[in-house]
Amino acid sequence: MTEADRDIFYEAVSAHSDSRSTAARLALTAREQGYGGIVLRADPNEGTRLDSASPAEIADAYGIDVVESVEIRTDSPGSASGALGEHRSEHTLVILAGGTEEMNRFAAEEPRVDVLARPMARRGDVDHVIARAAARNGVRIEFDFSSVLRTSGGQRVRALADLRKLRELVEKYDVPYVMSAGAGSHLELRAPRELAAVGEAIGFSLEAVLEGLREWGRLAARNRDLQGGSFIEPGVRVGKHDEQF
Amino acid sequence: MCALPKHLRPRWRYLAVEIEREPDASLDRRAFQRALWKAARELLGDPGSADCDLTVMRFRFDETGERGEVIVRVRREEREEGRAALACVSDVGGGPVGIHVRGTSGTIRACEERHLGGRPDSGTETSVPFAGADRPAREQGSGRVDIHVDEQWVGATTLDVETETPDREGRE
Repeated sequence: MTEADRDIFYEAVSAHSDSRSTAARLALTAREQGYGGIVLRADPNEGTRLDSASPAEIADAYGIDVVESVEIRTDSPGSASGALGEHRSEHTLVILAGGTEEMNRFAAEEPRVDVLARPMARRGDVDHVIARAAARNGVRIEFDFSSVLRTSGGQRVRALADLRKLRELVEKYDVPYVMSAGAGSHLELRAPRELAAVGEAIGFSLEAVLEGLREWGRLAARNRDLQGGSFIEPGVRVGKHDEQF
Repeated sequence: MCALPKHLRPRWRYLAVEIEREPDASLDRRAFQRALWKAARELLGDPGSADCDLTVMRFRFDETGERGEVIVRVRREEREEGRAALACVSDVGGGPVGIHVRGTSGTIRACEERHLGGRPDSGTETSVPFAGADRPAREQGSGRVDIHVDEQWVGATTLDVETETPDREGRE
């Protein structure tokens, strides 16, 4: 991994109002650890712990890309659908928290969702139908390393088994994915190399983990492009008038 | 016992590790070593943990500071496993800790010279306006501020407190 590589890794951090670090502190720590950007997951109902610093100020001060996102957490597809309509155009990334079969399926079948977060948490499960739907609709499935990094015993064993099942499905159906340490405070952040080493210890390849970290940045860049004024439809965009013609 | 001839001795790598804790948490060398062994056993199992042979060689932590520097020794062939075990150290002695491997070297001296010793960090007590009130805080180097809010420490930076203006407080 060279210095130039480092700028392309992104990490998604929780920036809810009950989080134990402010967005600015998370950004500062992530920058020191070699990330090029962070995605702030915020709950639309709770607001973020942005305090007085805006994402743009943070990005300027610490030289890191700050991506605004919304994480919709609900147990009913109906209200998730409403929230999607409300937030899709306002945020760069829209993340839907999974955790039940119903929500996982809803997210996988909804192209407006960018990332299906923590699909195996709580009673959640993913099967081949959901994996195929996610691949078809370009919904990124999240591998959440928080249990591997911060729990032990039976809880961790179950989380590892879930990660393995998810990994096998993702490989089989070529589902796009993202990786995250699920950090809720600056002390819970881990550098890309460390996450890759942990990934290798639990059966991922080094490249697969780094790829999952890069995917956040790629997704953010794509959505910014789509939401910028110049995009009309695939292959058609508003450009400068060319003098030659 | 005789020292082994040089070509039979194990080859080591030294990891320069930066650790960070909350302001009033306790953290010492023994507790950190225990947490490291525990993390290695839980992640890699007994054989993997024995192969790594993770040992804390240097432990520098200012009593009042929140950030310290540690050098951890690992067998050269197992350095990625050692790094993974280190990443899984999430709390020491009941308090959460942040871990960041700054780099690796083949000798302790090279490790110290190349990767460590940059930041003298002993915080200063202060009080800052945050979330609508003046709160006790501890300022660290490079803009870090830890603020005591409702029996908990909140990690912030100067960016979060400096721009607090009367008109914002009025809105709240």
